[in-house]
Amino acid sequence: MDEPGGYAGPASKSAVVSDDSRAFDVVVVGAGPAGSASALEVARAGYTVALVERGPYPGAKNVYGGVVYGRILDELVPGWWERMPVQRWVTRRATMIMTPTQALTVDMRAQDWGRPPYNGATAYRADLDAWLADQAVAAGAVLIPATVATGLLRGPDGSVAGVRTDRPDGDLTASVVIACDGVNSFLAKEAGMYPAENVAEHTTLGVKETIALPREVIDERFGLSGRDGADIEMIGCTRGIPGGGFLYTNLESVSLGVVVGLTGLAAAKVRPEELIADLKEHPAIAPLVRGGTLQEYSAHLIPEGGYRSMPELVGDGMLVAGDAAAMCLAAGIWLEGVNFALGAGMYAGRAAAAALRSGDTSKSGLAAYRTMLEDSFVLADHRKLRKVPDLVLSQRVQADYPGLLCDLVQGLFTVENPAPKPGLRRLLRLGTRAHGVRRRDLVRDALVGLRSFG
Amino acid sequence: MLVVAAQRWIDPHPRVDAMTGRVDTDARAGGASEADQCALEHALRLAERFGGRCVAVTAGPVAAEEMLRQALAAGADEVLRVDAPPGGDPVLEDGAETARVLAAGLTARYGHVDLVLCGDRSADRGTGSTPAYLAARLGAAQALGLLDVGRDGDGLRALRRLDGGRRESLAVPLPAVCSVEPTAVRLRRASLPATLAARRSEIPHVAVDAAPRGAVAVKAVRTYRPRARVLPAPSGDDARRRTLELTGALVERAPSRVVTPSSPEQAAGELLGFLRAHGYLPEERDD
Repeated sequence: MDEPGGYAGPASKSAVVSDDSRAFDVVVVGAGPAGSASALEVARAGYTVALVERGPYPGAKNVYGGVVYGRILDELVPGWWERMPVQRWVTRRATMIMTPTQALTVDMRAQDWGRPPYNGATAYRADLDAWLADQAVAAGAVLIPATVATGLLRGPDGSVAGVRTDRPDGDLTASVVIACDGVNSFLAKEAGMYPAENVAEHTTLGVKETIALPREVIDERFGLSGRDGADIEMIGCTRGIPGGGFLYTNLESVSLGVVVGLTGLAAAKVRPEELIADLKEHPAIAPLVRGGTLQEYSAHLIPEGGYRSMPELVGDGMLVAGDAAAMCLAAGIWLEGVNFALGAGMYAGRAAAAALRSGDTSKSGLAAYRTMLEDSFVLADHRKLRKVPDLVLSQRVQADYPGLLCDLVQGLFTVENPAPKPGLRRLLRLGTRAHGVRRRDLVRDALVGLRSFG
Repeated sequence: MLVVAAQRWIDPHPRVDAMTGRVDTDARAGGASEADQCALEHALRLAERFGGRCVAVTAGPVAAEEMLRQALAAGADEVLRVDAPPGGDPVLEDGAETARVLAAGLTARYGHVDLVLCGDRSADRGTGSTPAYLAARLGAAQALGLLDVGRDGDGLRALRRLDGGRRESLAVPLPAVCSVEPTAVRLRRASLPATLAARRSEIPHVAVDAAPRGAVAVKAVRTYRPRARVLPAPSGDDARRRTLELTGALVERAPSRVVTPSSPEQAAGELLGFLRAHGYLPEERDD
């Protein structure tokens, strides 16, 4: 097999095309939520669009454990909840603060989330992405599967003029390229849009086991019925490595995993599967997954740096959306990504269509993309919560506060007769001393939290 | 000259439940097996050598069109999807029925077929019977399980694997049905323009009639369960003795050994010694 496209690394040189004709108006790279949403919008606006996908079918290549919040789909696919391939609608959302022997859970149940217009859902991304890509194809997009975009094509003036693929004769020219090629985007790097600073600091590694359990067993263990589902986010379960854990219920399986900072993981010299093994043995988690059959183990990088680690979003003839633009929101109590990808993809598609309509696909012609993002939740949320990723991944939130909180509540409920009940202030004083938390840091973190979440 | 590559649409990575033998497949991951891809590559090459046309065909549901698009992109001149008869399984499980459907579809569409290439066996059923049935249906010569196949005058020259690293070379007259092992060649990577063209093509399909009554049909395939072995009733007087006899507990046995011989000679010596010790070979004589 010959592969003329060659290496798809950041150092790949962009090829220059001299011909003015373009095979497509828009080329979208990556048929994930961002890519399919943008292809859908471009096709609906009446422009030709190619959707290039690396895997044999959309959804073949992803790793995902999470909740899909489909509200933004109201704009794209009205009545989406009746057609979207969903595993369970999340009606139980719990945040678990853990130490190796303790767990303090805040558990919210809302039956409103289990009926129209719904809130979040667990889904298999192989189903979800294929469905989203089908919407784009039905609107007129041309899906090109099993094809890797290995680099950018540039016109004589240096603007992006398409992508080179790994197929023979594989140059795909277009007026606008929308890079939705996921975390660590080679295309955005090649375009010089990535910040020069250390990407590893802003990137986490998610590892996940999909564990099969009968539907009735899941319903019973998690207190669910019908299509209702549970979502448990955990903190303090990663041996002090910055990160967290998660457990999501699918119809007949649960996804259990951890997300850990790359630099922290490397420094701790721990293999990520050991962290999952720890979690599966934790007294609060073990009874939930007992007797399940391991179906899949997978791992993927996640761009969790938020607003501060985003690349430039607009270039000459090029837009970046989704994970490629670090649009994953990891803000402690909120862990979202697919909705940001859908939103960014949608606005990228609209901006590309508007630029094509006005005949100006340069950086200034495409600038409406950034404005649309800033006016919407996509950048508004990220900007508001820009300090949270650092706070969440700090040593105090990761290791000190979980232990402090668990000890505090354990002290509150431990009966020490004949000694009288301790006061909350005394417990707090003992806890901060035992966990080495300084009052000053506590106040400062509370302020950052208040300003971000308030 | 019409060269046909017959491909079977399967999920190459099905999940098999070890306890029940249930096979779970994913239609999205469906495609041609390695052997079927090799068959297509051979068909493309032979069509070039003979100056003929190459047709990729499959008997399968609409979802199988994706596989045919890939064949089209790789260079097949035409593709054809044969609908399985209504009422049955859309993916045929039986070699004879697959061959009947394929032959009927090909004959209905093209009349005469000069050469059909298949993979040596499907990745799911794996009996390798379809090409043989197909040859009988088409009245063609058959050469199965080939390593390589090329043009030789008006016919074919084929290479087949024999024991001991030997090969046999076959002269195959046309019309013929050949099946190839997934070796020697790999399917060419489709170019981007051909891929784009294939995305937009209409995939022609023909329907064939249901099998005439009286044909042998495979109804259901169950996991293999060995027949229960009848043992004589234990002869002990009390329950304890009978249990001991049945379970073989408290019987003196030589514990099993793990040996790691350092040379083949030593390994052979160990095996022969074991067989002699258990009476399968006569005792060694000191001549």
